[in-house]
Amino acid sequence: MALLEMNHIRKHFGGLEVIKDISLKVNEGEILSIIGPSGSGKSTMLRCATMLETIDSGEIIYNGERVAWVEPDGKKVYPKGAKMKEVGSLFGLVFQNFNLFPHYSVMKNITDPPIHNQKRGRDEVFAEARQLLKKMGLEDKENAYPCQLSGGQCQRVAIARALALNPKILFFDEPTSALDPELTGEVLKVIKSLADLHIAMVIVTHEMNFAREISDHIIFMDQGVVAVEGSAHDVFNADHARMQAFLGKLQH
Amino acid sequence: MSVIFYGGTMRFSVMLQQLGGGMLKSMSIFALTLLFALPLGLFVSFGRMSKNKILQGAMKVYISIMRGTPLMLQLLAVYFGPYYLFGANIGGGYRFTAIIIAFSINYAAYFAEIYRSGIESMSPGQYEAARLLGYSKSSTFLKIIFPQVIKRILPSMTNEVITLIKDTSLAFSLAYAEMFTIAKQIAAKETNFMPFLVAALFYYVFNALVAFLMERLEKSMSYYT
Amino acid sequence: MRKQILVSCLCLSMAASLMGGMSVSAEETGLNTEGKLVVGFDAEYPPYGYMDDNGDYTGFDLELAEALCEIEGWELVKQPIDWDSKDAELNSGSIDCIWNGFTMDGREDAYTFSVPYVNNSEVVITAENSGISSLADLAGKIVGVQADSAALTLLEEGGDQADLGATFGTLQQFADNNTAFAELMAGSLDAVALDIGVALYQINRREGYVILDEYLNAEKYAIGFKKGNDTLAEIVNKDLGILYENGIFMELAEKYEIADMVCLADTLGLAEAGTEAETEAE
Repeated sequence: MALLEMNHIRKHFGGLEVIKDISLKVNEGEILSIIGPSGSGKSTMLRCATMLETIDSGEIIYNGERVAWVEPDGKKVYPKGAKMKEVGSLFGLVFQNFNLFPHYSVMKNITDPPIHNQKRGRDEVFAEARQLLKKMGLEDKENAYPCQLSGGQCQRVAIARALALNPKILFFDEPTSALDPELTGEVLKVIKSLADLHIAMVIVTHEMNFAREISDHIIFMDQGVVAVEGSAHDVFNADHARMQAFLGKLQH
Repeated sequence: MSVIFYGGTMRFSVMLQQLGGGMLKSMSIFALTLLFALPLGLFVSFGRMSKNKILQGAMKVYISIMRGTPLMLQLLAVYFGPYYLFGANIGGGYRFTAIIIAFSINYAAYFAEIYRSGIESMSPGQYEAARLLGYSKSSTFLKIIFPQVIKRILPSMTNEVITLIKDTSLAFSLAYAEMFTIAKQIAAKETNFMPFLVAALFYYVFNALVAFLMERLEKSMSYYT
Repeated sequence: MRKQILVSCLCLSMAASLMGGMSVSAEETGLNTEGKLVVGFDAEYPPYGYMDDNGDYTGFDLELAEALCEIEGWELVKQPIDWDSKDAELNSGSIDCIWNGFTMDGREDAYTFSVPYVNNSEVVITAENSGISSLADLAGKIVGVQADSAALTLLEEGGDQADLGATFGTLQQFADNNTAFAELMAGSLDAVALDIGVALYQINRREGYVILDEYLNAEKYAIGFKKGNDTLAEIVNKDLGILYENGIFMELAEKYEIADMVCLADTLGLAEAGTEAETEAE
């Protein structure tokens, strides 16, 4: 059974159709990368999966249960209240711009959501947070505030914050795009290290080598549709003009 | 200088005592206005930003009237309004209440716009992050958004609060014996301006104190940007 | 008046229709609160109502009101008011009367008055060395006056001295006489027009200022009640008679240096107070 299934998703903003009938599937522990030129709808796909945007047609299925869909008459059905909380606890999202809470220390950024929103024990959460920080190479930054950290450090805190809620699937929305090139490496390294945790990841990225290395499955999106998909090897060697043009552009 | 010092017979200590008593009344107007206007302003700003067009429009009108007419007229309107509107006999006990109502609804309008500027300046990312981390709408606002809003609006709030101290003197139009009213009365009796000088000093010291406290508050939030 | 008009505008100007139906509370005494006389006064109006050296409100009128309350067994509430708002204060019931060197002439239609008790005059103060010695010399000069005061009514269009007022360079209004006097001292005003009692109070505390020999008018002070409140006016009239007979009235007049201005004896049809034990013929 797939952890996440998105079927026949459509989304438009005003008159512009950003996603045109896309379907995808993520299995437990699987790593999916979504690549493609800017404006191809990659980030919108993530925002639909995390319900920051509502879909205009199609359905979203988590753990085999249909949680969001659009009725034939156009009525959008989304979970509410406790149900939404339950669904929401399955996934986490790492933003391009981190979106850490600037008035909270690193520790509080990570521990407040599990303590306050999942009602978990303080000691347990703190112990887990310290482990996460160690994994992120930030064990000495517990009491620092986001403004005292580099972009790379901020993004690692944001990853720890998302992981602290124990999601089954973690979405990354261009996690390194806001970073200087020299800081990109440290974040990618951390994401790679998460593979051992065996949680599913969906990564929107422009880092082709990284995507090739880490992904079980890759989707190349172009103009709101899936242009190519398959294993890393299949996608990067596909005989697809747009795909090759895109890769060529990146290499320059 | 003769205009200031000439002809007084009231002992200086008595004058200080009188003005001090007036100062306490000014401070109670100040404190009660903040107590009511700060939360009221927040609710007005919610209404102003509401998706409900009627509520939004009503708040717009409210803010525009409060900011567009002199506070002194509002004081008179609140106090004498029940009589002019309904022919009600307002009796004596309503004076202070009217002052607090007028000040609170006036300042709430200004505070509402300051809150709005702060709330609207927050990036949507903060709301989205909070939502994905499982915060409810109310805790998102109370724990994540509002503390940051306070930090952003503190300088404009300080301005308003200091203006309020000086505005308390407008209560003289309802003859409430706050400090400025007392100063005017002593000045008339003494036929000199010395009481105004003392009153100015009192206002200044009170202002300086408030400015100092606001600065401390601002510093206490300067640990992040 | 301008302020009141604006206020009623703010109140959606429903006032007029409702005021027509208003009537004074039909209590025995005509008081807004039984047993409590709330006297509205301008606390910047020595010697009639002002703050004394100890910070208490006092003055000829307030002490008189005190004595009257003793007779009736009422509690006196001294309520300072902003002079501009006196009508609203009175009509809305937040005070029972205006008792404060209140000129009745020209205001007969707007209030119910007690019997007059002080002969007042509106006069003009100038600096001794100003070269102004008669009302005619005020032509082209800047003259100050308290807003909403009897002096203003007199000098404005429609007043008895409107022709004189028209000769002034400017007729400048002030919230209170003290400010006007400060301007006079500072030289930005040439003269101030005001009640003689207040004028005497001001010039007795300073050197170099005089009252012009020519008065603007002769008028009378009375206690003002809400139009139609005859009940309270009659009680006060009766008590004024008592206070005159027992000598308290004249005692207070002496104390506040206005003894040669009072006229209560004439208006009540009484002889000089004191020895002659004439009873009131009511």
